Amino acid sequence: MFRGFEYIMRGRNVADAVYMTQRICGICSTAHGAVASYLLDELYDNDIEENAQYLRNIMFAADFLQNHIRHFYFFGLPDFVIMPENLLFLNQNCFDCRLDASDNRRLSSHYIEAVKVAQKCHQILALFGGKAPHQHSFVHGGVTVAPTADLINQAQFLMEDIQEFVKRYMLPDTELLSHCYDDYFHIGETPGCFLSFGLFHFGKKNEQVLWKGGVLDRGSLTQPRLDLIQKDISKSWFERDKETGDVSPAPYKPGAYTWVKAVLYNGKHYEGGPLARMIMNGYYKGGTSTMDRIVSRSLETFLITELVKDWLNCLKPGAAPLKQKEQIVKNQAISVTDAMRGPLLHSASIKDDQVRKYDIITPTAWNFSPKDLAGYRGPAETALIGTEIPSPELKYVIPGRIIRSFDPCLSCATHLLDYDTNNVEHIIY
Amino acid sequence: MEKSDFLQLCREYHSIDDYALSARILPTVREYIKQPNTSKMPVIWLETSDSGDNNIAFMNTTYPYLNQVFSDMINLFYSNTFMAAQGRDALALLEETATVYDGEFTLVVEGAIPTKDNGIYNIIARTKYYNLTALDAVTWLGTSAKYVVAIGTCASFGGVSAAAPNITQSVGVGKVLKREVINVSGCPVNPDWFVGTLAHLIMYGRPDLDELGRPKLFYGSTVHQHCQRRSYFDKKDFAERLGEIECMFSQGCMGPRTGSDCPYRQWINHVNWPVKANTPCIGCTNDNFPDGSAPFFTPLPQKNQSKQVNNEQLSTTGKGESYEPTENSV
Repeated sequence: MFRGFEYIMRGRNVADAVYMTQRICGICSTAHGAVASYLLDELYDNDIEENAQYLRNIMFAADFLQNHIRHFYFFGLPDFVIMPENLLFLNQNCFDCRLDASDNRRLSSHYIEAVKVAQKCHQILALFGGKAPHQHSFVHGGVTVAPTADLINQAQFLMEDIQEFVKRYMLPDTELLSHCYDDYFHIGETPGCFLSFGLFHFGKKNEQVLWKGGVLDRGSLTQPRLDLIQKDISKSWFERDKETGDVSPAPYKPGAYTWVKAVLYNGKHYEGGPLARMIMNGYYKGGTSTMDRIVSRSLETFLITELVKDWLNCLKPGAAPLKQKEQIVKNQAISVTDAMRGPLLHSASIKDDQVRKYDIITPTAWNFSPKDLAGYRGPAETALIGTEIPSPELKYVIPGRIIRSFDPCLSCATHLLDYDTNNVEHIIY
Repeated sequence: MEKSDFLQLCREYHSIDDYALSARILPTVREYIKQPNTSKMPVIWLETSDSGDNNIAFMNTTYPYLNQVFSDMINLFYSNTFMAAQGRDALALLEETATVYDGEFTLVVEGAIPTKDNGIYNIIARTKYYNLTALDAVTWLGTSAKYVVAIGTCASFGGVSAAAPNITQSVGVGKVLKREVINVSGCPVNPDWFVGTLAHLIMYGRPDLDELGRPKLFYGSTVHQHCQRRSYFDKKDFAERLGEIECMFSQGCMGPRTGSDCPYRQWINHVNWPVKANTPCIGCTNDNFPDGSAPFFTPLPQKNQSKQVNNEQLSTTGKGESYEPTENSV
């Protein structure tokens, strides 16, 4: 799928970027709203109040919780657990489902609990953000909603339920899967090159991050330099105009195989996501496998529930913490944050208040980078290559588990590996 | 079929070609498989060019919760988001459902349909022999479905996927099918609008539609008619900036031109909506969203007149602009 968001943004009022770019992705919309707001904060030189930062992070975190819980139970669970006799799960491939009957029954019943608790995550987002997906109140200058005692109180009780679910179900369920499928600690390993832009911004200028980012290359951690990021379209359905340098879609380009552009940092592929963040911040010590990615996502979910509870306590009831300046003071800006799946970057150059060029590099573009000019593969492809498929029944099972451990977002980076196809097979053989 | 009939059949056909027996029994087996769920609606859900926000919005449904919709209302045979099947198994499921439930299933389409270059910008399935584009799939399934429901504004009218300059020439489902399409628009859809439309189809058949093909039940009045801040508007008491309690017309609110019941219904367990969050309605249910609402924070009379998008004046004469629903359903 190709929609051409970078073309859509041209000529629009730059303030529309917050609402427009959220529509890139339905499951991580707040991430795009957040990074576009940071970008506008820089263009306007806004000063952000502390209360606004707490509110922004509560909303962003609520969307993280929604994303991680839905990913684990709706998309991940059917890879490992035999789901109940139900039409949704017709043709489920159960050749390698290892839980005993009672564990299996217990875990599959948690699907229904997850339905309710994920809705509660979005209810917190909507309480402060107006609606979800595509919240309205997290804009440049702060937040448009006043944190009043009733809202804070409602969010606190919703958060209690969510944390209870994570403690009682999600963490033990993750632990059980990691025991029964411990061979997946050695399947789908990546080279261990991680990149994160840091997560949960604070400070008047969004300059502080709670969870630090960095570039981790086989043990050494350095700060990311944005000028070292490059896009490579050699295997993507795009071509570059030799004179203007403009990139346009080329669906018939020979040798190309995806709408995702390869993203490189200093000429190399990097992986992003919960595993990268948990390792860099010292919360997780482990490998780079399929199961490491799954375990670190659940761990991050729990840590975020703790943070949201703290932030709700720190909020001071009062008026809407919003100070939007009137005049734009810069004509270009780049903003970054980590999103659910890894590093997210927006950059814009503008004339007056109109967008001249808007560029977006999504986490899935990092994780699902196709081959670059030199023929090196991105993290997900590397994880798949060389994976042994011991029997034909497991042809979709093993690659499916590896791919889904990256939490691929099919909308923001387009349908790279369509599960309805044989593409996965082609990549392996 | 009673057990005795079945045994009788087997006796009669035992000497004939095996296939003849299968051919005689299969239709009965299919009937049997369908029986326990006769009151549930068979559904095929195709995701085309969109952000997936409508299936996330659908997951937020309360009373019924998502699992209750699946267990009691619909048989969702195919959905790339929800189903467990993958690879060729998934495609087989799609083909089988379309055959077995020919003329009975409801086709839900989420997303716009790119039409440029025969739809190559959205390929739903890629096999060794052919590429199934969104355009092919919707055309194929759209002709044999009992109802076609477009969920979200992209599927209904093109929406953000068809925003200027629309280089993929994306359109709403209604533009590629020569039949009635029920448009349940919104960016994303409010789950009540979608689940409510399904409920209407199941319990009472086709709902009354407005001139944009949307159920009047949900889209029959404007946001403005029912806005909690209408008294501010009537007194010309406008907010000076976002985050204030007064009327958001000055901040670009599209409420006067947007058919939807947001002020009453609200979002996510009915707790909030954009104007209550001290921001403007951006008209996301309209057929000219988002271009007709841009710039979002510019007052309605000046929208798209002061600014040109992509160097060309965006059309402000679409159906949504002149449309003012008359019927008050509340």
